[in-house]
Amino acid sequence: MKKDLKVIGKPTPKLDARIRASGQAVYGQDVVLPNMLHGAILRTKYPVADIVSIDVSKAMQLPGVVAVITGDDINANNINYKRDNPVLKRGRVNCIRDEIAAVAAVTREIAQEAVKLIEVKYNVKEGIFDPFEALKDDAPQINEFVKGDQHINIAHPFYYEHGDIEAQKRKSAVIIKTRFELPRMTHCCLAPCAITADYSNVDKRLTLYCVTQIPFLFQRDMARVLNMAPSDIRIIQTVIGGGFGSKLDMYPYEPICALLSMETGRPVQITFDREEEFIASPTRQKMTIDLTSGADSKGKFTFREARIIMDNGAYTSWGATTPFVMMQTFSSMYQLPACIFDAKAVYTNNVYAGSFRGYGNPQATFAVERNIDLLAEKLGMDKFEIRLKNANYKDELTGQEMKFISCGHKEALEIVSDKSGYSPCHSREGGNLSNRYKRGIGFASMLHVGGGAKIYPSDGCGTNLKMDDFGKLTIITGSSEIGQGSETVLAMMASEELGIDLKNIKVINTDTDIKPWDVGVHASRTTFVAGNSLLGALKLLKEKLSNKAAQLLKTEIDDLVYEDGLIESTTSGESFKIDKVVREIHFKPPNELCAVYYYYEPGSEFQDKYYKGNVSDTYAFAAQAIEVEVDTYTGNIKVLDIHVAQDVGKVINPLGLAGQIEGGVVMGMGYALLEELYSEKGYILNPNFHDYKIPTSVDIPNIHFYPVETNDPYGPYGAKGVGEAPLIPTAPAIANAIVDAIGIRIVDLPITPEKVLKALKNDA
Amino acid sequence: MKFNVVSPENTKELLELISVNQDRYFRFGAGYTDLLIELKKQPDEDLTVINLAQLTDDIFTAISKIADGFRIGSLVTAKRISLSKDLQSNYSVLTEAAKKLASGQVRQVATIGGNICTASPAGDMACALVALQANCEILNSNGTLRIIPITDFFTGVRTTVLQKDEVLRSIVIPSNNRKNKIYSNFIKIGTRRAMECSIVSLAYHILTDEKSIITHAGIALGSVAPTIMLAKSACDYLLGKSFSSLNPSEIKEFSQKILEYASPISDIRASAWYRTEVLGNVAKSIFEN
Repeated sequence: MKKDLKVIGKPTPKLDARIRASGQAVYGQDVVLPNMLHGAILRTKYPVADIVSIDVSKAMQLPGVVAVITGDDINANNINYKRDNPVLKRGRVNCIRDEIAAVAAVTREIAQEAVKLIEVKYNVKEGIFDPFEALKDDAPQINEFVKGDQHINIAHPFYYEHGDIEAQKRKSAVIIKTRFELPRMTHCCLAPCAITADYSNVDKRLTLYCVTQIPFLFQRDMARVLNMAPSDIRIIQTVIGGGFGSKLDMYPYEPICALLSMETGRPVQITFDREEEFIASPTRQKMTIDLTSGADSKGKFTFREARIIMDNGAYTSWGATTPFVMMQTFSSMYQLPACIFDAKAVYTNNVYAGSFRGYGNPQATFAVERNIDLLAEKLGMDKFEIRLKNANYKDELTGQEMKFISCGHKEALEIVSDKSGYSPCHSREGGNLSNRYKRGIGFASMLHVGGGAKIYPSDGCGTNLKMDDFGKLTIITGSSEIGQGSETVLAMMASEELGIDLKNIKVINTDTDIKPWDVGVHASRTTFVAGNSLLGALKLLKEKLSNKAAQLLKTEIDDLVYEDGLIESTTSGESFKIDKVVREIHFKPPNELCAVYYYYEPGSEFQDKYYKGNVSDTYAFAAQAIEVEVDTYTGNIKVLDIHVAQDVGKVINPLGLAGQIEGGVVMGMGYALLEELYSEKGYILNPNFHDYKIPTSVDIPNIHFYPVETNDPYGPYGAKGVGEAPLIPTAPAIANAIVDAIGIRIVDLPITPEKVLKALKNDA
Repeated sequence: MKFNVVSPENTKELLELISVNQDRYFRFGAGYTDLLIELKKQPDEDLTVINLAQLTDDIFTAISKIADGFRIGSLVTAKRISLSKDLQSNYSVLTEAAKKLASGQVRQVATIGGNICTASPAGDMACALVALQANCEILNSNGTLRIIPITDFFTGVRTTVLQKDEVLRSIVIPSNNRKNKIYSNFIKIGTRRAMECSIVSLAYHILTDEKSIITHAGIALGSVAPTIMLAKSACDYLLGKSFSSLNPSEIKEFSQKILEYASPISDIRASAWYRTEVLGNVAKSIFEN
């Protein structure tokens, strides 16, 4: 590693900040192609019904309508993780999102009008909206395409254990058992879903301008759905206005748009309005967690036993695999000798859950951290001390066989305790300002993968580099920019290594016909994996440049430094401009282009069938301490200060990092206090920003961020994954702070003023 | 969303347009912060919108001091009300309500007339005006003016006494008589601090003499009944009492009187129980600190 970094660690505005701020960014909604049509989707009127008949004749007659398709008209395979979701439903609908027909017309308005003219006769049926009801022996099968191994309505079971749980129970001085209820929340991406499909009847190729965060898996999946060859499908990602995991799955509107284009031979665009976005885009899993936690008389944790029922909804997305991440938290956040984890994703007739920043970890961490406060209280121990005593440490090998090659957990805890002014003698009484307002402080930690996650045959990323004759570098990376700032981080790394200005670096990352393979944006992996891939490629490029430069400067390769656009000999002080060296390589022997490629595969391993193994090269740790003020007259919670200490390995771009931390914390605040997508008998009750509340700018507290730099041996410059972490500990820390302030029982989210007031009243 | 728009530029043109549209379905538009949402939900191609936003007559657009109080044109925006020093020093219940309305963007265009005429039980400025016992100045298409107290203006959820040939021109707030001190504020309860529709609101405007004796009290409640309520018996209860030395049992009695006006509903934002509970609590808070 270089000792003296010139670019890394310096606040750098995002490369795309100007086009985004000036309105020039081309989002999915902004794509315009010659001859383009607009699509609209007819969704079911009832969550559960048999479809008796569909009559599209009136829609077809509307002037401007070019095509109407139903499930009977198409040849497409089911989508999603379990292949249990038909693109257009036939015979039966299972949730209020269900797509029945689609229209392509010359304007969006005509397409929407035509959708209203499609006549569907339904035979309305009773649905099952509670997963516990769905698990009853006599419950009917909800999804006809998948029959669970254990029960017809279990979409995906997970079971994990380590240690001798009975022995640990016997060692426990205290045992706390709590049932937690976590709500359905949704991403609220500022740009709603949008896709433009362009199928050519001539060359039989399909181009999709879309917002996926996993372009290569999406390409392969789309090919399977449409019975095409993957290479005949080109994915071009538009500027993405928020991903947060929502774009990890394919949704029916995407193949529907492709089918409309194939049907009409013209480009077709489908965009959601906000209401459709709320109804038809994914949610975080609603779940019930029964967590039993133990500790011995000295406060050392002994065991955790988690039994979880997740509301899968009617179809199975990647979201059903969130237990994969949750079990890491239950098994390995804080030292833990024994763990049992049992989770089931259960079909219901609710809208189906997807993946969401944190991937189950916010739910798991909420349960673990709430129980820790309860354990501490019962033991009469300080809630900070009990966390410090059990904190994870460097070189720890956990029960799940995760290896913490670097670990800033203790440091993070100590920092937030110190900075928040917490002291063990702090007590509920000490937090009383008046009869009306009470203050409290709460803690929570978090553990998440920080070096990718090996869940696919490769967790790698490819990079192609090209330096042109004028010394400008093009980075063609497999990774994707979804607003997390990855382009900027990559350009900073190249700038650091080659000593060239950021303005001489371009990042190309949106086109599967051009960019090399990458598994996609998930698991907070991009800086780590794409960064290491880029560093590998830069090494090759520099070998090429250095060989020529050493020859020109009549010196050794080790003698060269790259600085200010020059390659310089440190002994002679002579230098060549980097572009001159490129031209020497290009136009004179060896007559080569300055282009290289590199593929990086992390050293992580697949877990075995017992879910054991080092799934990530490294792990991220964080702690938050949050102070709140409770208005006991109204139940309103004012979050005053949020102290965040996070082990980021190494700060690459302080500006981008602050953005991720603040954005994550605010999302966590929404989860804690405001957000829930309410549904009743399968209908969504608040599909708008009026009734689905996210924090506004005036709700934002003081956010104090203290990066912990553990300089990970595997990370690029020592960095590890950052993106999901800041959201994860926020809700439990807020809940713990509220309990600290007013001593109520909190077992569910969001903690609304009404719940607070009711709890105060019941306690009184 | 399709509809016809006509934009009168003065009172004469406005009254003519009201006249000629008597047989058609028309709505007034000013700030459009409510109307557009409503039309999006229920589009009606036969609708004509009489756009008031281009009117330039002062009587519709100005805040002016008059002999017995202040007159506010119905097109004055929440933003302008929140910035008015005259209103702030005399009727801070109104400026506070304006400041707490929705968001900066909405306040920039939302008008006081719209806030009244939309007749929502959650209207913030409307609630303050009920506490101030303002009068509504209503013009009909013949140019005849009638004046009615705002307490008589609302007839139900989203319904008012306005006839089809009438338009709310302006609001008059009476002077603060015989006062030494003004206790005037708007308490808005929601789950967040902006972009919020009141779950409960309480507007109060209380005047005291030099001995701290309450000489006038106006207290209005929002979101706890089909219309904004003036809590008359609670106001009367306070008259003659000392603002700074109400004892706990008096405060309790006052709070009970407030609750007599509450018949809230349960909806997605809050339960009736919560609305009642919070109303009782914040009523007490008027006399704390």
